[in-house]
Amino acid sequence: MAGYLSSSIGRKQIVAVTGLFLTLFLIMHLSGNFLIYKGPDAYNAYAEFLEHLGTIKILARVGLIVFFLTHITFTALLVIDNRKARGAQGYAVSNSVGKRSLATRLMPYTGTLVLAYLLFHLCDYTLADHESVRSLVNGQNLGLYGLVYNSFKNPLRVAFYVLGMIGIGLHLVHAVQSIVQTFGFNHPRYTPLVKKISFVVGVGVAVGFASIPFYMHFCTMSACSLGGY
Amino acid sequence: MNLDSKIPSGPIGEKWTKHKFDMKLVNPANRRKFEVIVVGTGLAGASAAASLGEMGYNVKAFCFQDSPRRAHSIAAQGGINAAKNYANDGDSIYRLFYDTVKGGDFRAREANVHRLAEVSVNIIDQCVAQGVPFAREYGGLLDNRSFGGAQVSRTFYAKGQTGQQLLLGAYSAMMKEVAKGSVTLFTRREMMEVVIIDGHARGIVTRNLVTGEIESHTADAVLLATGGYGNVFYLSTNAKGSNVTAAWRAHKKGAAFANPCFTQIHPTCIPVHGDYQSKLTLMSESLRNDGRVWVPRTNGDSRRPELIPESERDYYLENKYASFGNLVPRDIASRNAKIVCDDGRGVGSTGLAVYLDFKDSINRLGKQAIEERYGNLFEMYERITGEDPYATPMQIYPAIHYTMGGLWVDYNLMSTIPGLHVLGEANFSDHGANRLGASALMQGLADGYFVVPYTLGHYLATTKLEKVSTDHPEFKKVEGDVRSRINQLLSIKGGRTVDDFHRQLGLLMWDKCGMSRSEAGLKEALAKIPEIRDEFWKNVNVLGGNDEFNQALEKAGRVADFLEFAELFAQDALHRNESCGGHFREESQTPEGEALRDDSNYCYVAAWEFNGVGKAGILHKENLEFENVHLTQRSYK
Amino acid sequence: MSKSINLTLKVWRQKNSKTKGQFETYAANGIDTDCSFLEMLDVVNERLTVEGKDPIAFDHDCREGICGMCGAVVNGQAHGPQRKTTLCQLHMRQFSDGDTIVIEPYRSRALPVLKDLAVDRSAFDRIIQSGGYVSVKTGQAPDAHAILVGKEYADLAMDAAQCIGCAACVASCPNASAMLFVSAKISHLALLPQGNPERETRVQEMVAQMDKEGFGNCSNEYECEAACPKGISVSNIARMNREFLSASRKK
Repeated sequence: MAGYLSSSIGRKQIVAVTGLFLTLFLIMHLSGNFLIYKGPDAYNAYAEFLEHLGTIKILARVGLIVFFLTHITFTALLVIDNRKARGAQGYAVSNSVGKRSLATRLMPYTGTLVLAYLLFHLCDYTLADHESVRSLVNGQNLGLYGLVYNSFKNPLRVAFYVLGMIGIGLHLVHAVQSIVQTFGFNHPRYTPLVKKISFVVGVGVAVGFASIPFYMHFCTMSACSLGGY
Repeated sequence: MNLDSKIPSGPIGEKWTKHKFDMKLVNPANRRKFEVIVVGTGLAGASAAASLGEMGYNVKAFCFQDSPRRAHSIAAQGGINAAKNYANDGDSIYRLFYDTVKGGDFRAREANVHRLAEVSVNIIDQCVAQGVPFAREYGGLLDNRSFGGAQVSRTFYAKGQTGQQLLLGAYSAMMKEVAKGSVTLFTRREMMEVVIIDGHARGIVTRNLVTGEIESHTADAVLLATGGYGNVFYLSTNAKGSNVTAAWRAHKKGAAFANPCFTQIHPTCIPVHGDYQSKLTLMSESLRNDGRVWVPRTNGDSRRPELIPESERDYYLENKYASFGNLVPRDIASRNAKIVCDDGRGVGSTGLAVYLDFKDSINRLGKQAIEERYGNLFEMYERITGEDPYATPMQIYPAIHYTMGGLWVDYNLMSTIPGLHVLGEANFSDHGANRLGASALMQGLADGYFVVPYTLGHYLATTKLEKVSTDHPEFKKVEGDVRSRINQLLSIKGGRTVDDFHRQLGLLMWDKCGMSRSEAGLKEALAKIPEIRDEFWKNVNVLGGNDEFNQALEKAGRVADFLEFAELFAQDALHRNESCGGHFREESQTPEGEALRDDSNYCYVAAWEFNGVGKAGILHKENLEFENVHLTQRSYK
Repeated sequence: MSKSINLTLKVWRQKNSKTKGQFETYAANGIDTDCSFLEMLDVVNERLTVEGKDPIAFDHDCREGICGMCGAVVNGQAHGPQRKTTLCQLHMRQFSDGDTIVIEPYRSRALPVLKDLAVDRSAFDRIIQSGGYVSVKTGQAPDAHAILVGKEYADLAMDAAQCIGCAACVASCPNASAMLFVSAKISHLALLPQGNPERETRVQEMVAQMDKEGFGNCSNEYECEAACPKGISVSNIARMNREFLSASRKK
């Protein structure tokens, strides 16, 4: 196992498998987030449900942190190796001949962006007090829903969240097909399909998440809430 | 000089078996005490190094390239012959033997050729076991194709890259031994001299091509597998680095050089374009299986080939040689191309080309079938010429491709210097005056895998050798010689580049010693070569120093040797006043212009002894006896 | 039709592996477009020699695209702008009159520059030594027809085995990874029954050696496949990943 973890391919596969779990988490997270369109009751009930999962919640959080840190640590190890491998003298002219998409080229940058975004996001919502003054809408405490509603009235925050989602989307466009290749699946017939799926997942996740800040920014309480407040 | 061929007695089919039993063996436990040097890592060298390493000898392998895998065997395209008779078309060891002796125009040693045919079957087994991805049929069995000079399908192939795959097989077998420690690898080393102590080859002196260091290496036997000397013509299908240096240095130390004038001109190469041209590219002879060779019937017909109607095309090989057609042996195909071009019917910008047309095959088999067989060759043609051979016929012309001559060896592959063995293209033994297609790979691997591992043991078991070290005065003396020659080359600082001299020599050789040779032309060459050589040593410009990566110096050393060797070449061609195989003397032809062999006067191997630079070599003759394949004038009509 | 063009070359000059290098600019006028790229360099070198300047060192041998010895990065692309073409097979008709061509050696920690454009690729030999073979000794082989290989697998193995070891994959990879080279050999032998008994140790040993040589990792950018003069597919890298995972599971 030590050999596997210190080998180039082993490390890459660790990055891939943790990436896969993080992607699945994102998809679950997104499907939960869509409850926001059902209104404060549904959304807050969902948040409440998650809050009270107890051991499962702790396990899930610890798991996510471990996956995330592993993902970052092993990526960092690979990046350090790769920088060293390239050597001290770079090319004077660098001219891609290949099929590197924008998403592929930007992987290190989108990864860093996602990290920055995530830290902000955690402080902003996950770890924030869901019942503070930030949750008051029209004098009514709407819990997490209210917090989200209020905070996205700030266009800067909307812009930052959308930027974060573009980062995640691009990251996934490369990542999903990359996971498949890294685990050794490449087939002349199916690999093009895998690349399309990768694209759809990346764009889908980004658009899905990004729709929420927009929606929250532009809607007013009476027009957009279905809960009857 | 004593030319004892050591051919075993007995019937041809039993000689090798008997000899294997008669030879002395080295005890497996004692083998690691013997050091063996292998120079060159092509098919012959790599296979020998691998096999000897496996047996337990302490092997040192040398190549001038950056990796053993670069050796020029890698460029062989078409295939490798073996008498497997998998095609059930009447092939046998005897038939392969017969075809090779006849194809060599009765100038090869029967016993060697028969042994070659015998071990050919083992080679295929060995290569398959190594994982060489030969072409297969749908049932999973090996596919065969036919090749020039044979009427059976006995050629195994791996796309158009058979040489590459066989070499990578031998290379990986050798690398396995490097990992085990039985073979030590020395890359980017040029052999400068062989060292002879008490009459035996006991080591070599090399130059490290990166640092310039002059290094000595001891051994109990030295194996040269250093390839052919086709680059004496400057333009050839050989790699740029291919050279005669190792063989020539050995010759100067006492190894006889046999039949240097026997060179093979390959009929299907891409024609010359301009003065800057640095090498010629071969298109595999297998193309002649499906391509038809033709020229316009009328002189100077400059229409595009597609516009010339059938009735105005001369399919000269099919017309002249009904039974072999486009598959006549290489020498005949080449000479006929020269004849039609000399006749003024050549095509292309220089008039020195003929068409090789795939239109009929594409119509018959479909473009896809042709693409499967020759796709990579067609691509290569298009890259070089900018023309699409699916749409318009290829233009081809003969070029120097292989050299049948080489250092003289006995049946044990040992030269006239005891302990110095010579393998593969570097020796003279198996192809006579002309080599059949797909036989070079066979011979290289036969020598390395299945011949020298036996015969070397016999030499080591029967020879008493004192231990020597690199401190021996002879090593010191040779190192000094090497250094002073290098210093001499560096100190001239004249006005002409090395390539300039090489090109001049090549043109002279192609004109006077190429496809067609005459007494007058050869005498002219013999007068001219020393002049070029003298000017070289007065006016060559080699920049830089010895103690660095200096490619001009590498080339200069090789060209200096070509300039000495060329004279022996011309001398041999002049003395052999007959036409045989690749050697065509204008004085010796039938009324129809076919080669006319002279068995009563020239049925021998001409082995030359060195007699000083600029002095005529001393001729020794090894008479050839044909007890099995009876001497006949070749006919492929 | 051939014509004559004038070019400006910016060539990396470096005396040896210990010194620092720099670019030098040379005029290459009157170059015939039927020349190969290396023949163009020959012409330039002849002129430099006559002027008493050190000619440009570059590795080359067969000049027919099979030995794998040549290679440089031309205008930022390994082996230059034509796909599936080695530098020796690249012809000057791919360039236009007045072009500036930047010529650099392959750059990677594992492939140090020896001089100018020549690099040391012995790392590749050491990777092959670590397991790129079938352990069969001369004379041990069964009859060739005793081993059946389906045509489909034989053809796939041949596709992988075509690798010429030129290191363009390393040169073009943003991470200087050698995975295309290594995976081509692993695939070639894993696809054939002959390679089967050693497939697990082979992939582990070869990957370990590759890492030890200091090559980078694969980030699935597929530049290698695009730069490979033999068109070796990245599906071989996928196969190597699979082989490696499956070998690691057992050991």
